Amino acid sequence: MSWQGKGKTTIVGIGYSELSRRPQKSLGALSLDACRAALDDAGLSAEQVDGLATFPEAPFHGAGTQDGEQIVSVEYVMNHLPLAPDIRWYAQIETGLIASAVIEGVNALLAEACEYVLVWRALHNPRGRYGAWSGNRAPGDAQFMAPYGCTSIFQWHAMAWQRYMHRYGATREHLATFVTNSRRNANLNPNAYFYTTPMTREDYFAARWIAEPLCLFDCDIPVEGCVALVLTTAERAVDLRHPPAYIAGYGQNTSRRRALFHYSLDNYMESGHSLASKLWSSSGLGPQDMSAAELYDGFSPSTLYWLEAAGFCGQGEAYRFIQDGRIALEGELPVNTFGGSLSEGRLHGMGHIAESVMQVTDRAEKRQVPNASAVCAIDGSPMLRGSGLVITREP
Amino acid sequence: MATAREKPRPLIDNLTRPFWEAAREHRLVIQRCQDCRYFNHPPRSVCNACHSAALTFEPVSGRGTIYSFSVMYQPNVAGFGDELPYLNILVELEEQPQLFLVSNLSEVQREQVRIGGQVEVYFEDVDAELTLPKFRLIA
Repeated sequence: MSWQGKGKTTIVGIGYSELSRRPQKSLGALSLDACRAALDDAGLSAEQVDGLATFPEAPFHGAGTQDGEQIVSVEYVMNHLPLAPDIRWYAQIETGLIASAVIEGVNALLAEACEYVLVWRALHNPRGRYGAWSGNRAPGDAQFMAPYGCTSIFQWHAMAWQRYMHRYGATREHLATFVTNSRRNANLNPNAYFYTTPMTREDYFAARWIAEPLCLFDCDIPVEGCVALVLTTAERAVDLRHPPAYIAGYGQNTSRRRALFHYSLDNYMESGHSLASKLWSSSGLGPQDMSAAELYDGFSPSTLYWLEAAGFCGQGEAYRFIQDGRIALEGELPVNTFGGSLSEGRLHGMGHIAESVMQVTDRAEKRQVPNASAVCAIDGSPMLRGSGLVITREP
Repeated sequence: MATAREKPRPLIDNLTRPFWEAAREHRLVIQRCQDCRYFNHPPRSVCNACHSAALTFEPVSGRGTIYSFSVMYQPNVAGFGDELPYLNILVELEEQPQLFLVSNLSEVQREQVRIGGQVEVYFEDVDAELTLPKFRLIA
């Protein structure tokens, strides 16, 4: 059944804060910078905003939740921007990642709950090691992993990728093509943390191990900063500063996890496909209609799993599909045209959405895919949780 | 007294106590649904497969295969710093597909580990209160 909401809502503004490893400003101040920049980009004033949504999760459990310092909540933005006197609608979600907060905003606009929605994603870069385990006692499911030193999400991704390589015959040589392609794209993206830092295949293979078979450059680059978007209805969008990017469809995944170890790889197609099938059915479009694909890459193999689960290639084929320039900017399916989380910075999927908007509105400058008419932005790992959007040039 | 150098220990709860008490006796038991016979691990209050609450613990063979593995290079977990880099394996028990336990694989060279390799359980008595089931390669 096609979706009644297709093309009725839009993204009309994008704002980036500075993205850096250790900023002088607080995360709260950076987030307000991003929100103001997004409003300015749209040509709107703060007092026109009557809807707010975010997904404020810290990058890993234990990374801290102090509002304005380690996370930025709806309450924080409501109290620190001169918004509409009466905020008519807001949502602070706990699951689904930031694309799900955008989906909430879309639904609120379709329900006429509000007129202009500000969505932001603030990411803190905690000091110390990513995912370090500090407790002496491991509760819940962790009690079956922590005593063996297996607590970090990258160890689980490492095991999934090891299994993938074994099952399909992929190697690190194949993955290097994806990682270096992302860096090449980031070198054309002034917002990217690695804008001025190139990466060769030799650089990739020289990087230290994090958890074999994943090396340093298979992991996203942690940054501190924020990206904000402004959403409104298609009717209200026509008079604003830039052409709008239309929301053609959306999807959230259905992941029924049973085992201790849900990164086993066996469920990535089923869970990922549950998201993609909703993307394609709601938008009435398919993978063959996408001008580019912005696919989550918190750890590099996730993008390959999404290529398969979303139907850009068959199961077990992504590692070959990405070779020979196919996913380069001038290729048949440009992937992560802005550098992804690996090379732009860890924004947990917000960069993927922002880039999709840039591409379909011809604002991607040196990395513009000519005549990009439809781009999908998919958030999350197909083994865990995810949500996505199809964003188009025309309604 | 607990120190930062100590490895994490399980915070045993009512659901998981039978698993850890059996391990103290060097027995591997897994929670099983008495209605549909599905093994649930970690233990659950309702069966993952059929949603029955009729769940008890049953002995399993302790044999399985290496489903996947990784080598950890980061000193993320207290007490493991001296063992870096160390191996983690994901063991699929022979009783049921996707019935997984995590283990280390000590005193084994990286080159000896392969997906599909056969393993069996053994029990490491950490101290008077805790025994960890672990797995080793079957020669």
